[in-house]
Amino acid sequence: MHPLRKQRIYAIVTVLLGAIAALVLVMSALSKNMNLFYSPSELVSSNVAPGSVVRAGGMVASGSIQKSTDSLEVIFLITDFQNSLSVTYNGILPDLFSEDAGVVVKGFLKEDGTFLAQEVLAKHDENYMPPEVAKMLNKIE
Amino acid sequence: MIPEIGHLLLIGALAVTFIGGCLPFYEFFSKKYYSQSYLRPFSVLTALLVAGSLTCLIYSFLVDDFSVAYVATNSNTLLPDYYKFAATWGAHEGSLVLWILCLSLWLVGYMFSKRNVNDSFSSITFAIMNQVIFAFILFTLFTSNPFERLLPFSPLEGGDLNPSLQDFAFTIHPPLLYMGYSGLALPFSLAIAAMITNNIDSLWARSARPWSLLSCAFLTLGIGLGSWWAYYELGWGGWWFWDPVENAAFVPWLISIALFHSLIATERRGVFKNWSLLLSILSFAASLLGTFLVRSGVLTSVHAFALDPERGLFILGICSYFIFGALLIYSLKNTRTQSESTYSLTSIEFGFLLNNLLLVVLAISIMFGTIFPLLYEAYTNGDQVSVGPPYFNVLILPFAIGLGFLQGVGLFLGWSDTKDFKFITRLIIETLTVLIVINIILYFLFGSFNTGSLVACLLFSWIVSGNFLDIVINKRPLNKIKSFLSFRLGAIFAHLGIAFLVLGIGVVSSYSSEKELLLSVGESYDLDGYVFEFQNLSSEKGPNYIADVASLKIDENTRTIALSSEKRSYLSANQVTTEVGIVADLFKDYYVALGENIEGDTWSFRLQVKPFVRWIWFGALLIAIGTFISSIKLLRKET
Repeated sequence: MHPLRKQRIYAIVTVLLGAIAALVLVMSALSKNMNLFYSPSELVSSNVAPGSVVRAGGMVASGSIQKSTDSLEVIFLITDFQNSLSVTYNGILPDLFSEDAGVVVKGFLKEDGTFLAQEVLAKHDENYMPPEVAKMLNKIE
Repeated sequence: MIPEIGHLLLIGALAVTFIGGCLPFYEFFSKKYYSQSYLRPFSVLTALLVAGSLTCLIYSFLVDDFSVAYVATNSNTLLPDYYKFAATWGAHEGSLVLWILCLSLWLVGYMFSKRNVNDSFSSITFAIMNQVIFAFILFTLFTSNPFERLLPFSPLEGGDLNPSLQDFAFTIHPPLLYMGYSGLALPFSLAIAAMITNNIDSLWARSARPWSLLSCAFLTLGIGLGSWWAYYELGWGGWWFWDPVENAAFVPWLISIALFHSLIATERRGVFKNWSLLLSILSFAASLLGTFLVRSGVLTSVHAFALDPERGLFILGICSYFIFGALLIYSLKNTRTQSESTYSLTSIEFGFLLNNLLLVVLAISIMFGTIFPLLYEAYTNGDQVSVGPPYFNVLILPFAIGLGFLQGVGLFLGWSDTKDFKFITRLIIETLTVLIVINIILYFLFGSFNTGSLVACLLFSWIVSGNFLDIVINKRPLNKIKSFLSFRLGAIFAHLGIAFLVLGIGVVSSYSSEKELLLSVGESYDLDGYVFEFQNLSSEKGPNYIADVASLKIDENTRTIALSSEKRSYLSANQVTTEVGIVADLFKDYYVALGENIEGDTWSFRLQVKPFVRWIWFGALLIAIGTFISSIKLLRKET
């Protein structure tokens, strides 16, 4: 075989194998790490399986933040002004977490219908509204 | 008055770059070669005009001219002068002017790095660069003018620079990052010029190499600083979050690395010509796409630039003009670019091919994960989804292993074919030795052995053996070692940088300890053998904030360490930030973030011990130094 052609075959076969391996890897990694976003109403009405990791967002209802005094546990309600969802979080809240502010939490629904957050997402700008929450509120209006 | 001058200077630069973007093309296609002596003066003029414009903007910040809308939103009288200065590029509009300045500096650099520029290749390169600068100035003036006035009702006091940006690393992070991003415009312009003037040869590859290396060096520094900033400023103790904005810088970084490796093969052996051309285009495309993603607000990110769909559309227009234009030229280029030599499966050429394959596929996969939420939303008509960090962590591992393997053997491979494989046995022995030594050290440092870091340790040992140890052991006598080291100095530095980076990542992800808890004054907590004691709490007043400061004492076996951690309330923005307390030595960081006051003298804390975390940034620094050395060597040879 002509050496140039041989060389081209090396290159093409390598690229193809690489691309296929990458595609398989991307697909499997993606299918395990996609977190769907739900509004409180959607979480109440749809049948999201308890225990599967999802994200939820809404406004922190005013007066709903209850902080424990002997542990890091915090319980608060997030609302889309139609339904609300009780969220429990064990940990230090981001600096910009406050009442009447938009928030996104990542975690899972428990059997009793409340949400256990593993992560409360922080944004470092006080005027910033998480885009998911902004879109969700727009949809409702 | 001053802001108007700045505005006018920018318009002046627009005019100059318009001429600079057209005239060389007119000359080239009409075959009327006027003296091309205007190229250098024009490039300097553009740089001066843009620098003048930026200076006017900086001046408006320093004198608190709140009639300028951009100043009013991003600065106030309480802000220390140093941060007023840096606030100039703290938001979208000002950062664009800085970006344009970077672009024009690259052009000046290129124009003066060559002995003479009286050829069509240089003048077309000049024209393309001018078009890029022109497009960015146009974008700035029409959608994001930083000199816009708030008249007649200008505010007496400004808003504020986001407190978390009031920080040293932040003041130099953007200039470095923008130098890197914008630097990729130069290899792009060179590739287009090579295609238009039909100079797709080793001279073109030669002239593109130093610039792709320099861009990569700046990107490395910019990304490294950003990571360091996120580590100590955000208070979570993480150093990389796979945030879309991080990815937007990481992807061009990967592609620029692929590019300068591929260009070596193109220059030396005349292979991969088409691929190098495409990579030049792709790297600039990645840099533009990054800009688009960050500034149009289509993606959810911690970096909250002021969002505006009109801007997004404008940038999309710029992207399409340059990228589709470039691809059109690529498909129309009139010669078939033929490989000038052949190579076998064990040649360095094939090594570069694998390196490029891994880097580019990794870059594409990361980009795919980054924009997947957008695709998903469009496809499902509004369902929102996010792709978590585990996606990227799972993905990067096999690529890192592949690339690390190649780095270990890279310096031993020969052009066209490798004759001698004796080095493999030596490498394996050296690698195993280093691996054992490292693990003994880790065992003594942490008193336990963690298999999680084994892959990282193995890669570290392999790369260090192949890029340093074997050279020192096998290239005796000393003067031969010296000449080899100086010949490959840049590559060795950069590869060792990767080795340290990988080791740092491996150790910090498997040996870290973390605990969130409540502590009252006087209480202490034992975190894996390190005892943290909360000693007292005091109040302090800064120039534009008040702070609660917690003092802690950490008991190690042999010594005690004092550490303080703050919670700041900024007065003008009414915003609270965490100032993490960090005490670091070579092998570990103590990292304490103060939470909030629960009741009385009880506060919440996040305590962390992060071993080897500094090695990550040390590695990044080595990579930057290595790429700098290589590019400077290439530039000096050129003249």
